[in-house]
Amino acid sequence: MRKLIGFELHKLFARRLTQAAFLAVALVSALFTFYTYQNKYASYKGRQASGGEAVALDKEIAAKYEGVLTDEKVRQMMDELAPKSGPQGLNAIYLYQNAMQSAVSARFSDMYGNWNGLRVEDVFGEEEIRIGYVDGWIGASRDMEKSFVFLSFVILIMLAPVYSGEYGGVDNLILASRYGRTKCASAKALAGILAAVLVTAVMAALNVGAAFLLYGSQGLDCSILFAQLTLTEGYIPFNITCGALVGYQVLLSFAGAVGTAAVALVLSAVCRNPMAAMVASAAVCLAPALLPVPETGPLFRLLVLLPIYQMQFSSLMSVELLKAGVPYGMLALPVSAGLLAVGYGASGNIFARHEVM
Amino acid sequence: MERKTLEQKTLEEKTLELKTLELTKQYGRKKAVDCMSITLTEGVYGLLGANGAGKTTLMRLLCALQRPTGGRILLDGQSIGKLGEEYRDLLGYLPQRFGYYPDFRAIDFLLYMAALKGLEGKAAERKSWELLEEVGLSCEAKHRIKSFSGGMKQRLGIAQAMLNDPRILILDEPTTGLDPKERVRFRNLISAFSKGRIVILSTHIVSDVEFIAEKILVMKSGRIIHWGRPGEITSEIQGQVWECAVSTEQADRYVAGLNVSNLRNERDGHTVLRVVAAEKPMEDARIVEPNLEDLYLYYFQEQAAGKDDKWKGEDKR
Ligand SMILES: Nc1ncnc2c1ncn2[C@@H]1O[C@H](COP(=O)(O)OP(=O)(O)OP(=O)(O)O)[C@@H](O)[C@H]1O
Ligand SMILES: [Mg+2]
Repeated sequence: MRKLIGFELHKLFARRLTQAAFLAVALVSALFTFYTYQNKYASYKGRQASGGEAVALDKEIAAKYEGVLTDEKVRQMMDELAPKSGPQGLNAIYLYQNAMQSAVSARFSDMYGNWNGLRVEDVFGEEEIRIGYVDGWIGASRDMEKSFVFLSFVILIMLAPVYSGEYGGVDNLILASRYGRTKCASAKALAGILAAVLVTAVMAALNVGAAFLLYGSQGLDCSILFAQLTLTEGYIPFNITCGALVGYQVLLSFAGAVGTAAVALVLSAVCRNPMAAMVASAAVCLAPALLPVPETGPLFRLLVLLPIYQMQFSSLMSVELLKAGVPYGMLALPVSAGLLAVGYGASGNIFARHEVM
Repeated sequence: MERKTLEQKTLEEKTLELKTLELTKQYGRKKAVDCMSITLTEGVYGLLGANGAGKTTLMRLLCALQRPTGGRILLDGQSIGKLGEEYRDLLGYLPQRFGYYPDFRAIDFLLYMAALKGLEGKAAERKSWELLEEVGLSCEAKHRIKSFSGGMKQRLGIAQAMLNDPRILILDEPTTGLDPKERVRFRNLISAFSKGRIVILSTHIVSDVEFIAEKILVMKSGRIIHWGRPGEITSEIQGQVWECAVSTEQADRYVAGLNVSNLRNERDGHTVLRVVAAEKPMEDARIVEPNLEDLYLYYFQEQAAGKDDKWKGEDKR
């Protein structure tokens, strides 16, 4: 069996199209990371910096206020960081000088740059908000989100020929061989799932590794809620740390990859050729994201549990917190497990029962 | 004489019996295999038939690659569907057309097939190399299959069919694309291999089976219309094969009008025709010993003569 899985993995990864697709997505992912890093900007007390220097400057500022957010800290930050709006009457809330300034202004400033009178508990309720340099990791997570959505396509391209590729004539040989309908059919499904997990692991490792290199471990224990405005607006509204954020994301992307693989395998077994299998599985996987379903409706709560939303994890993570602070998104794990079970069983079965032409 | 002793021997061993009972495979209204009941025991069977006779369909049914629309296939009394893995373990199959992985090297392809057939580690390697040697591909073992010629792929296909030492070997037009030297090599390979096994090979090249097959099955419109040993089977048309000399200019006219299985131009401006006909085709014709090719022509004359419509008409009934 191990030998058969090895052969199947070899077939999958030796395919040029798969290699090209994976390289393309890895490259795009690297570009996202690089672009985000290069575009970091910070100004503080007359110093201006971009790229790595901006990150260093933001970290320097964050270091002064690190810890649990208190009204005292808000006041200090407002005094020291909040910009007074300029002669054009720009709204101070939207002015950006550095990460910490934007974070505090967005919540505690009026449009002239003065304290708006809100206290920490008015904004965040009972939550204990740990603040620090979180921009790096939140940015990295948002880039990773896009990369993982692209990665779904790699998985679809990679797994399209698992079964359908054999229907071109090798099925004659496979299905007449001793283990063709049994172990081989299972080995194909297992190899497909394994391959999906592998590419996801590589992609996650590349992204998380790059984030560590560029931003270090600072901020991993800090809340995602206290970050610059553009990163928090319309984003996951729960008080989780950056570490938890990335943890959930990686977990869900593995689940999403497995779910995507399950769909791809079934359609590969059903379709007569890899191209048809790819188009069909892309349509099935993407459909939930393209349906015009309002994000507040009950249908969305179901759709969002499907693999494509697991890859694009922030919508899924934004739904609600269940009891004991577990995000609703964790319900996607049993969904993917179910898909996996069905996909594994069905795809092998369809292949084994298929009549050669 | 030799054949007899061979048969006596196989009787002493545990014999195989592959049996079809009213086996039918229908595509829409077309019956590719039509209510066929045959019993195959050990030996080499040559399945002769024109294009579309149903040879490939029959072989696929025997390999359980297609489900019959009617009837059953039994191995030693047990349904092959029920036997499943156990049956396929005895099976070797060379499809008429098969796919391969263009980027695999020949040896990897065989190792993959060996894994599918349940051969383990060292044994798989040994057997794969041995078969590459036997089909004359050992020098190309590490070349990618996409660089292979048609005949080389065919030989690789033959090799994979034999990997598991199958006791039932089914070869669909195995000699397609093989040059004469390789054909001879193939015949020898099969002759040496066939003892104690059921070997079925299909072809429309009569000379292929004439030498190796112990029994010939003639298939037409999904039925076995005739069978027997190569020597005996031709007795059917004993006295219906003629040789006659005509002038070369007139030869074309005769070929169009008669069922001519061979023609040979002589130096003296004459052409010797070999004619299959119930009646004496011309004055100076003389009766000759029929061979398989004559028999083939006798059964498939409608198609050979291009009278396709008549053939189809028969078929629909
Ligand atoms: N998948 C299929 N769908 C529909 N009809 C088919 C299919 N496969 C075969 N047939 C029909 O069944 C008949 C027998 O075909 P088969 O391939 O078994 O013939 P064959 O004897 O192997 O011919 P050849 O010598 O050309 O290989 C043909 O009339 C063919 O058109
Ligand atoms: Mg055929």
